[in-house]
Amino acid sequence: MALALENVSKHFGSLVAIRNLSLSFDVGSIYSIIGPNGAGKSTVVNMIAGSYSVTSGAIRLGATALNRLPKHRIAQLGVSRTYQNLRLFDGMTVLENLEVCFFPQSWLTFLTGAKRLSKAERLEICHACLAEFHLSDVADVLAGDLPYGRQKILELARAFVTQAPIVLLDEPAAGLNHTETKDMAAMIAGLKREDRAIILVEHDMEMVMSISDRIDVLNYGELLCSGTPDLVRTNERVQEAYLGTTEELDDIRKLAQSRRAQGGLRANAGIVRH
Amino acid sequence: MGNSVIVRRLGLLAVLALCVVLLALVPHLPSYYVRVVDSILIYIILAVGLNLVVGYAGLLDLGFIAFYAVGAYAYALLASGQFDIHLPFIVILFIGAAAGAIAGVLLGFPVLKLRGDYLAIVTLSFGEIIRIAINNADDLTNGPQGIAGLDRASLFGLPLTTPVHFYWLLLVLAITVCGGVYYMERSILGKAWRALREDQDVVRGLGINTTTLKLLAFALSAAIGGAGGVIFGAFQRFVSPESFTFQESLLVVLIIIIGGVGNIVGVIAGAVVLVVLPEVLHFAAQYRLLIYGVVLVTVIVLRPGGLVSPRFNLGFIIRKVRTLWLSPSKT
Amino acid sequence: MLDYFLQQLIFALAIGAIYGLIALGYTMVYGVMRLINFAHGEFFMLGPYVYTFIFSGLIGLGGLAPMLDSAIAIIASFVIVGLLGVAIERFAYRPLRAYGRLAPMLSALGMSIVLQSAVRVTVGPQPVHFPAIVPSTPIDALGGMVTTVQFGILVAAVLLMVGLTLFVNGTRLGIWIRAASESWTTSSLLGIRVNRAVSLVFFIGPGLGAMAGIMYASYYGIMQPTMGSVIGLKAFTAAILGGIGSIPGAMLGGFLLGAIETFGTAFLPILSFGYIGTEYRDVFAFAVLILVLLFKPAGLLGETVSEETTVAKKDY
Repeated sequence: MALALENVSKHFGSLVAIRNLSLSFDVGSIYSIIGPNGAGKSTVVNMIAGSYSVTSGAIRLGATALNRLPKHRIAQLGVSRTYQNLRLFDGMTVLENLEVCFFPQSWLTFLTGAKRLSKAERLEICHACLAEFHLSDVADVLAGDLPYGRQKILELARAFVTQAPIVLLDEPAAGLNHTETKDMAAMIAGLKREDRAIILVEHDMEMVMSISDRIDVLNYGELLCSGTPDLVRTNERVQEAYLGTTEELDDIRKLAQSRRAQGGLRANAGIVRH
Repeated sequence: MGNSVIVRRLGLLAVLALCVVLLALVPHLPSYYVRVVDSILIYIILAVGLNLVVGYAGLLDLGFIAFYAVGAYAYALLASGQFDIHLPFIVILFIGAAAGAIAGVLLGFPVLKLRGDYLAIVTLSFGEIIRIAINNADDLTNGPQGIAGLDRASLFGLPLTTPVHFYWLLLVLAITVCGGVYYMERSILGKAWRALREDQDVVRGLGINTTTLKLLAFALSAAIGGAGGVIFGAFQRFVSPESFTFQESLLVVLIIIIGGVGNIVGVIAGAVVLVVLPEVLHFAAQYRLLIYGVVLVTVIVLRPGGLVSPRFNLGFIIRKVRTLWLSPSKT
Repeated sequence: MLDYFLQQLIFALAIGAIYGLIALGYTMVYGVMRLINFAHGEFFMLGPYVYTFIFSGLIGLGGLAPMLDSAIAIIASFVIVGLLGVAIERFAYRPLRAYGRLAPMLSALGMSIVLQSAVRVTVGPQPVHFPAIVPSTPIDALGGMVTTVQFGILVAAVLLMVGLTLFVNGTRLGIWIRAASESWTTSSLLGIRVNRAVSLVFFIGPGLGAMAGIMYASYYGIMQPTMGSVIGLKAFTAAILGGIGSIPGAMLGGFLLGAIETFGTAFLPILSFGYIGTEYRDVFAFAVLILVLLFKPAGLLGETVSEETTVAKKDY
């Protein structure tokens, strides 16, 4: 199964957020969408998930056009997601946060019970998922009471629990410290499977470079470059988009070096985090 | 098994027995008190029904009494000389519930995409529209005079005429409704409703059709309201639009909030307090409403989360009883 | 026909202005606190009572100049009802801020009962005559169709609205109010004393409500303790119609509701061949509200929030 964006554009009033973007995501890989702030990364995620309408073009999952469907239909077809700012059900327990994902998807299954998981099956899957994400010890804790790092992991678990073939992760490392980010990267890398495409929007370059099979760089709503981490790392246009022209880049490098000499800024592929 | 275990079990039995005895004693009270208890039970049924929408799904419905009115007028039209139709009570009970549910879906379908206060005001408007329509549709409802002389109800050959008869009917119904809602609360449906209350956009993102989810809550709660209305009609044997004002809708909302939102035990406590309080205040004559209002504000300022803590819910009580009975050493 | 239309138009404007003034109180309070202040209709009711009390007090003391007595009583009722609003917010709403949105709403309901029954206990439940502030005479210049009272209401209401707009847009305190409406947290971080802004809103809102009450009572010549309930409900409808939280929205909503009601009532029997009569006036207003919300879910001038930009957690 493949997810494809075909000549997709998105306008907010007179602002063109995405211009003629075509991308394709196949199961079995981890993809990262990167770009400077305002490049349109989150817009892409929100369009795929159905939160934003598409101005022109089409988004297809296999043969099905997603961009005309309501949000919950898109999710039912197998697109799950996390959010840029955590959106858990704070007043419900960790286990319940996962259980909700198994709500019967149509009136028919709800009433007849056909294709519907029994309570025992549901709980078994959820507990297995909690174990996989090291959350078993807090199964009965209210999600809102968890520390931030574990809340992020719970949101990740919620996106994966239904075995959706397309998983969109909107800044999974945002707000995490260095160690937590590394753990998160390892966790996401371990979730790669033959029948699943993971699409990541992320600012943390270390994470992106270490786990992605392909990186798509957006700038001003257009695809700047697309390829393996090594290819993107060395691409001049990418560096320009992130850091400006070469002269500006030199200035910033000097500044970074002086800071590094003072032991301040962390050295990182020459790319500065916001 | 030590002595203390036996003592605890006996204590538990004693408490349960006390509850049963108290409930069994009610019919022997003077008629006035039985009527008050009946009224409490009716409001428990209504509030538990509305709580599905307000407490679980997080949708503020300020026009709930409209469904109650639909039920009451269903009885008034189908069991009176108005059109000379005389259906049995039990049939109308189901018709009333179904009519309530249909009204709920008809209201819900167009408006459920509205959020928060906009939904609140639309439900409020709907309640007012129903009341004004009843008030003015003279041919059908007799307008402001109302419909009097409704049939004496009977259930499976047993007469339903005195407050004591209705006490038993309402008690059974209240327990059924509370039990049913408690079961739903614990099912996946209840969890989806609570998730809806927390963040409806995310719920949609999980592949759940939030409109159906809301409609279901609306329809179920409206059905309970409709059934309550049928009983009200059969009990009073007289219906008129003034029983179904905006203030009545607010009273049911008040019961939920003052007891503790989303908590059946809280709703029961709220219904008892808000029905008994005006009765107790009869001595105050014209100062009655004033004192009522002052007490209301004082209670809410002192206990903003409701009288009953959210932890003290039906599930908590059931667990407590179960552990006390099965393995008392753990408690 | 044209005369009839003109007469109805003036009536619509006058009643609409009254709705608008009350709606302002709802919308401003909602703006800063996200609270449906169900007690607001009672401030409307208190206005004429406080006015009558002060006015007859002044007359009892011998009185000053005829118009001066009225003026003093009007200003005094604005201030007294406004201060009452501030006190109610302080003691009945402020302690509940941390407890979601249902608790303050319940408190507001309770306050509504308290205020209404307090007046009923003090002066009795029956309707009382309201002394005319200006004698009601037809104004010849406008074709004899418009009375001085209607005209006065319209002018006074528009002046109050213009004054409020200037205050909110042009003064420091007004900017505080607008900032607090935009974001409570950010405003307090920026050093705005949000509590003062709230107090100010609870002074102005009820004050304007009281003014509307005086206008309403002088239009119909009577007042009674229950007069705030239905009018309050309708004014709230007007606030929602315009987009709750929006000050121009409340004014627009008020005038619109006035027009809808008046013309609906006047022409509905004609349009429906007498089948639907004037008794459906209120149904008409509510039905229009539902229709508007179906197409503009946030009201006419309300901001539509995109679901992804605002984390719209917990409605209730």
